[in-house]
Amino acid sequence: MNINYLAATMVLALTGAFLPVINRLFRISGIQGALISSIGYVVSLFLVLISDKGRHVLKVFYTTDPVSILVGALVLIASWMVMLVIYWITEKDKFVNELVSALMISTAGALLLISANNFVSLAIAMELMTMPTYLMVLFAFDDKSFEAGVKYFFNGALAVGFLLFGISLLYGITGSFEFSALVNNLFKDPLVALAAIFIFAGFGFKITAFPFHFWGPDVYDGTCPGVAALLTGISKSAAFIGLMRVVYEAIPVIAGHFTLILAIIAALTMTVGNLLALAQRRVSRILAYSSVAHAGYTLVAFAALSVPLSITGIIYHSVAYVFMKTAAFLCFAVFLFVWGARTMDDYKGLGRREPLLAALFLIFLLSLAGVPPMAGFISKVFVFTAAVDAGMTWLALIGLLNSAFSVAYYIWIAKQMYLEEPTLEKPVNDSPNKNWILLPLAVMAILLIVFGIWVNPVVDASAVYAAKVGF
Amino acid sequence: MVLLSMILLPVLVAPFAWIGERINRDIPKYLSLSVGVFLSFCTAYLIAKYPGNGFAFHEFYRIYPPFDFNLHLAADGISLVLLGIVAFLSITVTLSSWHVERPGAYFFLILIFLGPMVGVFVSLNLLWFFIFWEFTLVPMFFHIGIWGAENRIYAAMKFFIYTHLASIFLLLGIIVLYLSTHTFEFEKLLNVQLDPSVAKLVWILMFIGFAVKMPVVPFHTWLPDAHVQAPSPISVFLAGLLLKMGAYGLLRWEIFLFPQTSKFFAPLMAFIAVLTIFYAGFRALAEDHIKRMVAYSSINHMGFVLLGLSALTAAGISAAVYEMVGHALVISLLFMIAGYIHHKTHTWYISELGGLMKKIPGLMTMFVIGVLAAVGLPGTAGFVGELSVMLAAFDYYGWVMVIVPLASALGAGFFMWMLQRAVFGPLREGFENLKSLTELPLIENIPLALYIGAFILVGVIPAVVFNLYNPVVNAFAQLFQ
Repeated sequence: MNINYLAATMVLALTGAFLPVINRLFRISGIQGALISSIGYVVSLFLVLISDKGRHVLKVFYTTDPVSILVGALVLIASWMVMLVIYWITEKDKFVNELVSALMISTAGALLLISANNFVSLAIAMELMTMPTYLMVLFAFDDKSFEAGVKYFFNGALAVGFLLFGISLLYGITGSFEFSALVNNLFKDPLVALAAIFIFAGFGFKITAFPFHFWGPDVYDGTCPGVAALLTGISKSAAFIGLMRVVYEAIPVIAGHFTLILAIIAALTMTVGNLLALAQRRVSRILAYSSVAHAGYTLVAFAALSVPLSITGIIYHSVAYVFMKTAAFLCFAVFLFVWGARTMDDYKGLGRREPLLAALFLIFLLSLAGVPPMAGFISKVFVFTAAVDAGMTWLALIGLLNSAFSVAYYIWIAKQMYLEEPTLEKPVNDSPNKNWILLPLAVMAILLIVFGIWVNPVVDASAVYAAKVGF
Repeated sequence: MVLLSMILLPVLVAPFAWIGERINRDIPKYLSLSVGVFLSFCTAYLIAKYPGNGFAFHEFYRIYPPFDFNLHLAADGISLVLLGIVAFLSITVTLSSWHVERPGAYFFLILIFLGPMVGVFVSLNLLWFFIFWEFTLVPMFFHIGIWGAENRIYAAMKFFIYTHLASIFLLLGIIVLYLSTHTFEFEKLLNVQLDPSVAKLVWILMFIGFAVKMPVVPFHTWLPDAHVQAPSPISVFLAGLLLKMGAYGLLRWEIFLFPQTSKFFAPLMAFIAVLTIFYAGFRALAEDHIKRMVAYSSINHMGFVLLGLSALTAAGISAAVYEMVGHALVISLLFMIAGYIHHKTHTWYISELGGLMKKIPGLMTMFVIGVLAAVGLPGTAGFVGELSVMLAAFDYYGWVMVIVPLASALGAGFFMWMLQRAVFGPLREGFENLKSLTELPLIENIPLALYIGAFILVGVIPAVVFNLYNPVVNAFAQLFQ
């Protein structure tokens, strides 16, 4: 691991750790808290961006390559925006600094997860990313959030149990935790397949792949939407990259035997996600099930792992996904805060009430639906091109049809916002500095369009990674 | 830089239309009008500078060469003709929408529609073609859904989902094509020898995408809903530009790229075309809703376009492109007037109309001229288009095509019957004292006069259009030998 990258995670985690302490000592206001955390994010972002230079440490546990730099920087930006929105919508709550503190520590865990190249560090990073979110889910302190928190905790515990069991099986057979050592094993033992299944199941919980997706919508719906933005956007993208490293660096041979199963899981995940999303009335649940469907699209790229394009597909989809999903949930959070809008009926006419915010929400929804020129479109092109290239045209067709049907519910939200007459008369919380919160969302929208056209950074990074894993 | 500025300028001006509304309600429409004038000047400049054959005005913006994902713009004669339609309709539609409600958002959407629309016709990179193609859906969705008639939301949703679903097949075709050739560039694809079975798969996948946009039977059901519910100026965009995208895509990215495969599928295209012509003709005959009738006659004309394309000869393709121009001008006029009739009489139904000629002779004279052009009166674009399509079809398919003139007679039938019931005859009771039943203000008459002038001009002197693209079509027709 590059020393700068390590410093970046340290800066972020320590800023997060000291934020509540600073609050206890000096009683900071929301704006001051946002400023202090922003400093942490900026320094951390700067360090991540310069982490292609400098010494390497902890080489056995973590690696710093263009993928971790790129995705790390984007995860940081997304998390930064989440932090700003959380401060804005929960300014009056006295525990907001603790919430942001947990967010920053969890993001530090995500930064470690996307660069882990050893099963020990992978498990640690995953836990570092997950542990703070158990607290965060409970943050709202109402009945639903208790239910969500308990559900999330047990599922998370189950996931890590699966993951650790798989890892220990692998260790028992091969005597090694390192990806680079494992990849040379020929894997004659059938137990290795079992280990791979358990490891995949552990990740399956994190990325809400079918049939491990049940907790997802309940938790995303039950908790405060800022936390849901972290869970669906940032944690999931980081888990995708972590899974990618496991699949391509540690067990490519054994994963190669599972392509058909992966393809079927991918097809099921996206179909189930899209069908259930169509049936929802609450916007947060629609977004939650659409996040299940998006896990399916990414798994399509995993199923196509025999071709180098699949790496581009995975990385591009993670990059696009971290922005569009996080931002969509943040838009939902702002709508919920200002207008108390939860259901589809509440969204009627909100385009007229909040033209700019609704326009931004529309951009994120269209990107999720895969309408050009947003990044969600080009990432789907890469994913499905990889599938066709790997000889799975049927899977690409299922995916594309799913993507076409998913448009129905995304455009349904757009319809409610713009084509219907307003039902909500008065905002619940009318904040005078409302337009400021549009700034982080606008940044994400612009980045989404930029990455939709300027493909070079992501494709270059994935080309380097593809060369590294031997394509 | 000309082509890129034609794409970017409307999109960049668009936010100012939205903001400008707050300052003065008139700013958006003048912005839109000036963008229309800008597009017209650019098109005129390009036509003047066009060397006469092949692609010209190449603009190449490197994005990611290893994947051939580069913005490559260029125009040939066919693109220039369609650019001309874009520029012309952008002016007429702006004038027709002069008194629209909520002008800021309306013209914002028009402007972000125009940029990608230009892009569709000048992009030589297949992926960029698709990006432009797909993006045009978004503004159209809001136009139909916000400014449409009573059933607008259903129509907008159906329009978006239906055409997006079709685009998915187009995208899959593009992906398969890319993986077999590793390029998106038109000029490189021209020189690639594809495996025939792959070529057929790609052809079918892409054809579904284009056929829905055109539209042809049986993929046409979104069109009557979208057209009827859309506000009339937007119907003009739908008929004049959106449908042309389908026909243009079919011509540029299928017929020119895969001449042999297209030859294989030519009878299928011809069959669908004849089916479309007859089906839409009979539906129009049975239709009481005046705008829906015009919509079916629009499908009927697109059938002629497809028939011309399916006769894979220089004459057939020339005729098809000419028919596209004629269709854009004539059907636009009819849609506008059908909208005005509803506006003035508050009814859509032919059976509730009658004797309008007595009350509003000026508008109805233009309507009659438009209808005559649509049924193919000599001296109008409709005549030249239909006749040349039929001649090309005879030439290629022989005497089977003798049934097509019958369809033409069918078209004449439903239009004349409609005229007789709605426009001529005794004035219907209640219309005598209807206050809204008056002639149009000048500003709304200008676009109608422009359509009539344009289709008579290209009808009397077809060479103004033909000469522009004939060398191009002849050059590509060599491929079919």
